[in-house]
Amino acid sequence: MSLVDKLGNLIRAVKQNGGLFKSIRTFYFTDDLKWGTHVGTDKYGNRYFENNYYFMGRNRWVLFNDAFRLEYDGSQIPPEWHQWMHYTTDKTPIERPPVQHRWMVQHEENKTGSSKDTYYPYSTTRTKIESWMPKNLR
Amino acid sequence: MSSLASASGLAPRVAGTMIRREVTPLLSSSKREVRLRVLNLYRSWYRQIPHILMDYDVPVDQDKCRAKLKEIFMANRDVKDIRAIDMLVAKGQMELRETIEVWKQKTHFMAFFRDSVQVKKTDFMSKFLDQ
Amino acid sequence: MIRPRGRMLNTVCSVAHHHFNPSSSLVLPTTTTRSLSLGQPLLQAAKQPPAVVPDNRVELFIDDKRVLCEPGTTVLQAAAMVGVEIPRFCYHDRLSIAGNCRMCLVEVEKSVKPVASCAMPVMKGMRVKTNSVATRKAREGVMEFLLMNHPLDCPICDQAGECDLQDQSMMFGNDRSRFTDIKFEGKRAVEDKNIGPLVKTIMTRCIHCTRCIRFASEVAGVDDLGTTGRGGDMQVGTYVEKLFASELSGNVIDLCPVGALTSKPYAFTARPWEIRKCETVDVMDALGSNIVVNTRGGEVMRVLPRPNEDVNEEWISDKTRFAYDGLKRQRLTLPMLKNAQGVLEPVDWEAALTGIAAKVSRVEGREIAALVGGLCDVESLVVLKDLLNRLGCETLCTEEAFPMNAAGTDVRSNYLLNTKITGVEEADLVILIGTNIRFEAPVLNARIRKAYLHNNLRVAVVGKKTDLHYEYDHVGDTIQALEQLANGEHKLSKDLAKAKKPMIIVGSSSLQDADGAAILANAIVLADKLKSGSSSGSSDHDWKVLNVLHRHAGQVGALDVGYTPGAGKIKELKPRVLYMLGADAGVVTRKDLAADAFVIYQGHHGDAGAEIADAVLPGAAYTEKSATYVNTEGRAQRANVAVTPPGMAREDWKILRALSEFIPGASLPYEKLEDVRHRMADIAPHLLRYGAVEEANYFKQSHALVHGSKRPSHSGRALAPPQTVLEDFYMTDSISRASRTMAKCIQAARHHKTTKYSVS
Repeated sequence: MSLVDKLGNLIRAVKQNGGLFKSIRTFYFTDDLKWGTHVGTDKYGNRYFENNYYFMGRNRWVLFNDAFRLEYDGSQIPPEWHQWMHYTTDKTPIERPPVQHRWMVQHEENKTGSSKDTYYPYSTTRTKIESWMPKNLR
Repeated sequence: MSSLASASGLAPRVAGTMIRREVTPLLSSSKREVRLRVLNLYRSWYRQIPHILMDYDVPVDQDKCRAKLKEIFMANRDVKDIRAIDMLVAKGQMELRETIEVWKQKTHFMAFFRDSVQVKKTDFMSKFLDQ
Repeated sequence: MIRPRGRMLNTVCSVAHHHFNPSSSLVLPTTTTRSLSLGQPLLQAAKQPPAVVPDNRVELFIDDKRVLCEPGTTVLQAAAMVGVEIPRFCYHDRLSIAGNCRMCLVEVEKSVKPVASCAMPVMKGMRVKTNSVATRKAREGVMEFLLMNHPLDCPICDQAGECDLQDQSMMFGNDRSRFTDIKFEGKRAVEDKNIGPLVKTIMTRCIHCTRCIRFASEVAGVDDLGTTGRGGDMQVGTYVEKLFASELSGNVIDLCPVGALTSKPYAFTARPWEIRKCETVDVMDALGSNIVVNTRGGEVMRVLPRPNEDVNEEWISDKTRFAYDGLKRQRLTLPMLKNAQGVLEPVDWEAALTGIAAKVSRVEGREIAALVGGLCDVESLVVLKDLLNRLGCETLCTEEAFPMNAAGTDVRSNYLLNTKITGVEEADLVILIGTNIRFEAPVLNARIRKAYLHNNLRVAVVGKKTDLHYEYDHVGDTIQALEQLANGEHKLSKDLAKAKKPMIIVGSSSLQDADGAAILANAIVLADKLKSGSSSGSSDHDWKVLNVLHRHAGQVGALDVGYTPGAGKIKELKPRVLYMLGADAGVVTRKDLAADAFVIYQGHHGDAGAEIADAVLPGAAYTEKSATYVNTEGRAQRANVAVTPPGMAREDWKILRALSEFIPGASLPYEKLEDVRHRMADIAPHLLRYGAVEEANYFKQSHALVHGSKRPSHSGRALAPPQTVLEDFYMTDSISRASRTMAKCIQAARHHKTTKYSVS
């Protein structure tokens, strides 16, 4: 690949990211600057891109909603997009919307490490002794 | 040990007569000799301290080690029995060898600096509240 | 191996070994027998010197060892005298002889067939061979037949490891079986019966020893169990599906030599080899039954009886046996103190004790009161009394009341079961006053029934008519009837006065209200009348007539160390600080206290006491402390530590001792349990004479006080014990109230009442 090609990619990437300033911002947040087709946006505002110019594994990517800033996490990708991101399917959820069932729970990001809502494992074994508690604590 | 105190000139007085019991010395036969041994040991430790600190990654400096060395020796200042002193010197030598040969580990070395083990209190109230 | 079941023999015997071993020890003849053997008359020759007994003993030889024994002894008993254990399944020394398992077959010389030794009386010159080829062959044959009809499910059987069939097949069985299921018909299979929430039945395992049937009809007094069918089709059961309605039903679990009857709450929870055993005493009633608490991993797994001829023989009541799951629920595990909002919240010991000490130091000694419940051990009672006395408090009461006029509790003979539990077997008349003894002391009731069956004991009842499982003369329902009896005006008076060894048992449950004084006074008058009547005959001058049957294990201990019975003094005083030690009966409420009263509850269960408390201190239950209990006879017994107190709970005396440290000027000098015990010995030495009964005296003096004063007036109410039907039996204290098993029992008993099979 010639230097010209690389320069062309850089210019396209900068253009797509909305100018020099915004590109620096993206680079700061993601350590990467790419250009590609914007294939869709999920319900959380994450934008998904594809560019087969990059090799497999780097050709699909996500730019998280700007609101997340540096607090983004892979688990913020909903399952239908996760499927596409991981090459389980080549059809994006926009091309083939996911089947909705009543019993499906809402996607939730992994809260580990956050100050609240973190899941802590707990024992489900019954204690040998059941303590009495006064009325107000019962 | 104290019953074997003849070498240090102490002898029990039984029924008005002095009984002198002969005991074989461990190493030293006189006070002068045992004093030399003690000083020797002290010096060896003192000189080894910088090398020991190079061998062990421990959070103490030379001054602290010297102070501790003095403290440990002074803890036995009241031992007068030559055989007992001999035994202490022998033990000190063993410790020194184990230390400079790095047969000890960091924690073993730091055990010298463990000022006091938290002794569990045995009185009623402490037992009741800490149980 | 056969487990020794307590006292094997009660017949007069002497044993000498064969002549070529003259140096072996000689068992001296014993003439006094404490316990009765069933099916044999009571020995009248008690207390006579041995020389007077005419030597009509029979001589026989067991395995060439010479035995001398009374005529009427069975071969099996005679063999036990010389230490020869004959295997058995159906024979049990406290039940009648059935002779149907055939395991005890032995060869007797000059007898054509092998003989069932449990049913064979000794005969002169008999030569018994318990280990001959013929005997062994007979045993192995019997064992083969038993195993042919017994499932091979030991790995999933709860009895495995303590199973008589397992043990005896190892010791006495053949090493192979000829049982081949040629026609693939399967082994004998029997449907399981549902006989209630306590006893689990796996009837396929039953070997038809009929021990449970004999126990039910002879000891428990309910003819619920029986057999249907014959031979291989025989089934043990209750005929129809119904509750095995007995307060002693759990004992059939111990009696069953196989795993046919096992404990339902214990099912599949532990194996005998994993279990640690702790010998201790029970506190569910005032008898202090001896028990073995089985624990695993700091958890009580089950409770079994421990043989003690003087107290419980080898039976225990269902409450004793099954209420242990109450020890794991509703427990107090953290000290708690009310915060500024007036809400209890968990705190640490130091904070709790500091908070309490601040409240206690603020008031004067005489504004403090203590109330103790029925499950308190003597150690904690003594320490509590010492602590509060140091503060100047003298109001220390028990929840259970006792009439205090005349001698009250000042004389110990007034409140003890003076004739002792074993006295029932010597007595010829028992008058039960205001007690449903079947539920207040089930094991004692079983003994009365035993004496009733074998000793022609006559029983009279004053109080509500209830089913006691034996016949009795009903004197009347009311206090008037008692008064008439005491005055000799009742139509039964003359009849009852003939008794040589009469016993009067007054239930403490009837002494709780204002009429208690009249009831006790009349009982004392009646006792003296019967005593004077009987002593004119040839009977024992030391025979004591008056007995009080308590309901709570801690009551006698509390009275012995000087607590005032009844909460009357507290209600008069309206204290500003109330210390409740295990007081859960709800006798004292907030209304009886000063408006700003501070209530401290110390105990092991969150029950009525903890609900009204401002401070809660978690103590230890009876399985968790080394403690002294005095039973209703006045017998001091020691409970031992089977498991450690849960959470932050501590032994009760230690809590009080620690609290004393926080109250200025009240610090107690006890460092160790031994110090407390020394103090107990200072107060009353009998509290440390474990296992022995300290007999009471001063009958005459205390009774003179009654005779001297006017008989107390009464309302003439009916004498109705609080426990009348089976469902009342199961929940009586904070432990059994927390027990799920006991709740299931009540449910089952209630349901049973609605069925047409219940006997009202």
